[in-house]
Amino acid sequence: MKFKKNAITLAACLGVAAVTATGALAADQKVDTSKRIKVAMVPKLIGLSVFKANEQGAKKEAKKLNIDFLYTGPVTASAQGQVDVFNSLIARKFDVITTTANNPTELAPALRRAMKKGIKVVSYDSDVAPDARDFFIQNTSYPAFGKALVDSVAKYTGPDAKIAILSSTKDATIQNAWIDALKAYMKTAYPKMEIVTTQYGESSPSKSLTAGLNIIQAHPDVTGIIAPDGAAEVGAAAAVQKLGKTGKIFVTGASDPDSIRQYVKAGIIKASPLWDEVKEGQLVMYVARLAHNNALKPNDHFEAPGLGSFEVKNKVIVFSKPLVFTAENIGKYHF
Amino acid sequence: MSRPDAIPASAVRSEANTVKPFNRRHFPLDGWEMTLVVLLVLVLVGFSWAAPGFYDGMPDLLSMAENFLPFGFVALGLSLVIFTGGIDLSVSTTASLTAVVVAQLWHGFGMNIWVAAGIGLLLGALLGAINVLVIIRLKIEPLIATLATSFIYGSIATAVAGNAPPSGFPDAFNALGGGALGILPYQLLLFVPLCLGFWLLVARSAYGRKLVMVGYNREVALYSGIRVERILVVAYVLSGVMAAVAGLVLAAYYSAARPDMGDPLLLATLTMVVLGGVSIFGGEGTMLGVILAVFILGFLRQGMMIAGFSDMVTTMVTGAILITSIAVKNLFNKRGTGLGNQLWALLRRPEATGSEPE
Repeated sequence: MKFKKNAITLAACLGVAAVTATGALAADQKVDTSKRIKVAMVPKLIGLSVFKANEQGAKKEAKKLNIDFLYTGPVTASAQGQVDVFNSLIARKFDVITTTANNPTELAPALRRAMKKGIKVVSYDSDVAPDARDFFIQNTSYPAFGKALVDSVAKYTGPDAKIAILSSTKDATIQNAWIDALKAYMKTAYPKMEIVTTQYGESSPSKSLTAGLNIIQAHPDVTGIIAPDGAAEVGAAAAVQKLGKTGKIFVTGASDPDSIRQYVKAGIIKASPLWDEVKEGQLVMYVARLAHNNALKPNDHFEAPGLGSFEVKNKVIVFSKPLVFTAENIGKYHF
Repeated sequence: MSRPDAIPASAVRSEANTVKPFNRRHFPLDGWEMTLVVLLVLVLVGFSWAAPGFYDGMPDLLSMAENFLPFGFVALGLSLVIFTGGIDLSVSTTASLTAVVVAQLWHGFGMNIWVAAGIGLLLGALLGAINVLVIIRLKIEPLIATLATSFIYGSIATAVAGNAPPSGFPDAFNALGGGALGILPYQLLLFVPLCLGFWLLVARSAYGRKLVMVGYNREVALYSGIRVERILVVAYVLSGVMAAVAGLVLAAYYSAARPDMGDPLLLATLTMVVLGGVSIFGGEGTMLGVILAVFILGFLRQGMMIAGFSDMVTTMVTGAILITSIAVKNLFNKRGTGLGNQLWALLRRPEATGSEPE
């Protein structure tokens, strides 16, 4: 959090400096918003609070950037439902489609069709196949998030704890990348720490709760549960509460503050990393505008007013460092 | 409302003397089908007028069919089963399992994709055969039997798919889902002859007559010497094969195979079959009606999406159409239980009996 604030202040300073020092150049760098464009944001499913937080930020930014903004998606987390939506957006001649993919493969043909018709595609959160999008905004780098997850429990369980993992589905891209990253970090930072089991809650609250109960009952020596999925973290925390293990088992994961607030207050979740979803939504719109203007190269560098400066590496933009929610700061975040 | 095309000739003669078979042969549309034709025209004209982007030239309109024809393939096979008074809830998972197995044969075993696709069709037939064997030999209701096999096929599909289901098929195979010959999508080129085949099978073959009779009254069919079980086997096996075709087309369309790929198929295809005028109790309906319903529901869904309605609304509308079509069919049921017909009879009675008191 501190880092983020610093980064933003720094960026703001730089911006001010740029304006005062080289007024003409700064004007050139300003994003061209003369033409009104239509941009759609297609989440994995509508009605999930993290994606709503993206929408909140995107809506705000769209106003500034002269964008006709539409938030639409399937009711269930289905890639085919997303493809239906893409098809309708292509027919309605949208200028940019932004999306977070339910799975990387099924969406690709439809998005390639969109690109062929001159529509720019920006993926965020969960990527699609690289040849089916113009840019990808990654939430946070995998190693950094893996580290944040392990640190969030290690402080409370001690360095030689037995840890269980409760993930979403077996083939979830991001979750698997995080799990690989946290294992790698664990090996170097806490060599005595041990992962005793990995279970899956299918991103369903009830299945996650059952899986959480199973873990605790089958492995009584577990003192930390890392659940890098929204539903899984809530399920694991609820299981700890249900079995009266508060203070003995610590949970962390990747969930929005609204969902975990009560467990953070209860002390079951001491620290839980994520990123600022609202600001990420803003960045998605900013990149959509740049992509439509053809103002962004596959390897580039740009400043987004109020968001900071970003590197584009091989069409991938890393959004931010993890933002860790704790009992102290969670009151400031509402999404 | 009568569908002499499908109801056994004897039944038609006994219940309505006014039907003139010769007229029907020259102009083979009945009331329900005429309604569907009007509905289809309304949907096409309405959305072209009201939803910018819906009509953007003939090629685009035809290629829009790619988005819903997989449902059409399933609907063709499923209607045979519903004609018999049965149901096949396993069409979704049959499609998924076929897609995943074909993908693994191609990816894991290096098999030619077309050979693998052929095996996929055989697999569809096998899964259909398992369904009907459970129904006939174990004497389990089709609803329960296919619900159970649906879980089994779905679980096998998840297991076969593994952590990273195959994707990125050869372009020649992908063309089956998204390619076109000139302006005619390959899906449509495959669908049209299959429609013709199924229409001939139901309306113009001895099998079709027996199929409808089995559904209309199984006991009578049995005592008339119809081999009911053989009729059922053909219906369920063809339903399995058509679900497999849908699975292949979906895999080609998405250039990927996933174990949950067929999930959206069931609700939509069931609605198509029922909207098409096939009675959910069996024994009534026509193939032409089902084919019309495929295009009505398909274009309706696409049109609503393009008009900006969310997926939630379109799914809701599909459910509402399912209920409405069953309700309307029940109201005008010819078997004496239809509330609408009873009301109609009540209204007409005073007229008929009006002279009696005198």
